[in-house]
Amino acid sequence: MKKQPSSLRLYIALTLLLIVLPGSAIKVYCGQQGVQAIITQAGRSVSAAPAADAAGGLPANLVQVHATHNGQPFWTETRKDKVRRFKCSQCHDNSTVTAENAAAVAHGDMVLEHGGAQKPLTCFTCHKEDQRDFFETQKGVVIDMDHVDELCGQCHFRQKRDWIGGAHGKRVGNWAGRRVVANCTACHDPHSPLFKKRWPATYALPLDKP
Amino acid sequence: MKPLHTPPAATPPKTCADARRRYGRRDFLKSAVQAAALCGAAAVTGCDPGQIQSGQIGLQWQEYFKKNYRLMTPLEKEATVRRLEQLAKLQRGIDIQIGTTEPVKEVLFGYAFNLTRCEGFMECVQACVRENNLDRASKTQYIRIFEMEPGQMSPESGNGQYFHEVPVDNHFYMGIQCFHCQNAPCVKACPTKATWMEPDGIVVVDYDWCIGCRYCMAACPYWGRRFNFNEPHVPEEEITRKQHYLGNRLRTRGMMEKCTFCIQRSRDGKLPACVAACPTGARIFGNLLDPDSEIRFVLKHKKVFRLKEDLGTDPKFWFFID
Ligand code: HEC
Ligand code: HEC
Ligand code: HEC
Ligand code: HEC
Repeated sequence: MKKQPSSLRLYIALTLLLIVLPGSAIKVYCGQQGVQAIITQAGRSVSAAPAADAAGGLPANLVQVHATHNGQPFWTETRKDKVRRFKCSQCHDNSTVTAENAAAVAHGDMVLEHGGAQKPLTCFTCHKEDQRDFFETQKGVVIDMDHVDELCGQCHFRQKRDWIGGAHGKRVGNWAGRRVVANCTACHDPHSPLFKKRWPATYALPLDKP
Repeated sequence: MKPLHTPPAATPPKTCADARRRYGRRDFLKSAVQAAALCGAAAVTGCDPGQIQSGQIGLQWQEYFKKNYRLMTPLEKEATVRRLEQLAKLQRGIDIQIGTTEPVKEVLFGYAFNLTRCEGFMECVQACVRENNLDRASKTQYIRIFEMEPGQMSPESGNGQYFHEVPVDNHFYMGIQCFHCQNAPCVKACPTKATWMEPDGIVVVDYDWCIGCRYCMAACPYWGRRFNFNEPHVPEEEITRKQHYLGNRLRTRGMMEKCTFCIQRSRDGKLPACVAACPTGARIFGNLLDPDSEIRFVLKHKKVFRLKEDLGTDPKFWFFID
């Protein structure tokens, strides 16, 4: 009993091998079926659905975002044509207000619900005082109205990063072809950025559980 | 329980449409000869010439004997959608286009749902109902949104029938629909192979091969499937005219249906209607095989989980919190 016969050890080793080998083989085989494995194996894929761009469905006025995702360019909808009071310089040019419907579009009543109590924002945290058509970051970089993501991104860098990658905000039009995303202010009112409560669009009936 | 086989009615069916309505494909499988005889007899006697426009019976006759979609040649697919379009014109007087767009190569569709972003506005549900021609009478909906309290993780414990202003503080919202499992239990349960997974990962139903046994519905652990207990009704002006054979084409009574990732849109490169309609960006859809896609970014950088992962169904639908 001092020493096991070597044949017994060989026998044990072989049995173990017989159990382990098919087991791992099955695991590898099954893993290949799974979505996770398919994803990890996927290399750089060819540009899918090239017809997507041709098929249309993209919004009309687009600008290329200055940032890129994985080196790929992407686009966003313009904002200037959606901002009702643009151009601001038609009034804010140190001369008399000349706009026709000035009363309707003036905005002395604007409320700012952004930034919390400790760090209240003012109009000129964002808007450039002497050039109202533009924004200005706190470091003094002048930003075009169409690139509002650069304004918000200076403070909300986590959301900006997710927005570039695609986890915050949304893609518009197509999943394939040219990537177009909604800009921050398409969803958030910059002066009161939280979503407002409202009624749901529809309602559900009880689910018949099988 | 409803008997599977309806005994022949006292009055013989007047038309093939009539016969079809009365017997349906499930009975057809059971008593093919009988149904064929009825239809044949109807065709021979000419039915009711005033009521039925010429050609309708012939079209229906051919529709009855078509193959499972998966076995059709491109020509046969073309022929059946042309017949269906003509039938829609004859029976409802509307022009529709039914597509048979094939899956795009190197595409595997995946979906992610951001639990932090969803506010329960249910615009996705509304868009889905319109896009997919869902039955308005029974209020069929593919998507369910549940209002959940912190800590709850299964929709079973959430409130699926809320109707008040949303979002409610300290609640989150969870949307479920067909998860298009890579290892789908519904596909295995189907006795007639009327449901299967396409190469681009979409689990589809061939409505005309469905016998309405509802085994798939019982097999699905995610309540992803909907059954037409009655003839679905869609107001004519609301019918989405651009359709797909495996997608939103009009169903009839006794057919199983479910989310198809809007196959009629997604195969053309468009986003599914729910994703397009979502006002908060909680819904993310894209190609899992494309490393630059949004869905891949989410899988890589966010803490994702799937429902009932232990069942091994391998759904292509991830939830995440950011
Ligand atoms: C129709 C004319 C008009 C247009 C267009 C207009 N503004 Fe004004 N704006 C006014 C007037 C008038 C005031 C002064 C309101 C007050 O003090 O009560 C004002 C005040 C402001 C203020 C408050 C600070 C200050 O100078 O008193 C800001 C910031 C501002 N505007 C930004 C803008 C921006 C940005 C735009 C373009 C998107 C714009 N405005 C377009 C008329 C206009
Ligand atoms: C957080 C940055 C920020 C602050 C602070 C801010 N704004 Fe703005 N404002 C914006 C952005 C961004 C837009 C463009 C909105 C868009 O893209 O739709 C805008 C647009 C406007 C407009 C045009 C809106 C329209 O629809 O016509 C006016 C007017 C305006 N701001 C005035 C003000 C005034 C007055 C204040 C101070 C009370 C102020 N803003 C504070 C970021 C800011
Ligand atoms: C100068 C810095 C600054 C800029 C620029 C800025 N924000 Fe903010 N934002 C803040 C601060 C500070 C808060 C409060 C954060 C908190 O409460 O934790 C905030 C809060 C928010 C919130 C959450 C609202 C809430 O009440 O919790 C949203 C959404 C938001 N910002 C969106 C935007 C958008 C969109 C823009 C661009 C138009 C923008 N912000 C630009 C500083 C900024
Ligand atoms: C598709 C719409 C959409 C777009 C585009 C969008 N957001 Fe948001 N964002 C949301 C929603 C929904 C929330 C949830 C918060 C709420 O209840 O309002 C949110 C929340 C936030 C918050 C609050 C903190 C948090 O993470 O909950 C910040 C800050 C913010 N967004 C910044 C941005 C910035 C910066 C951009 C542009 C780069 C942007 N958002 C673009 C929809 C959007």
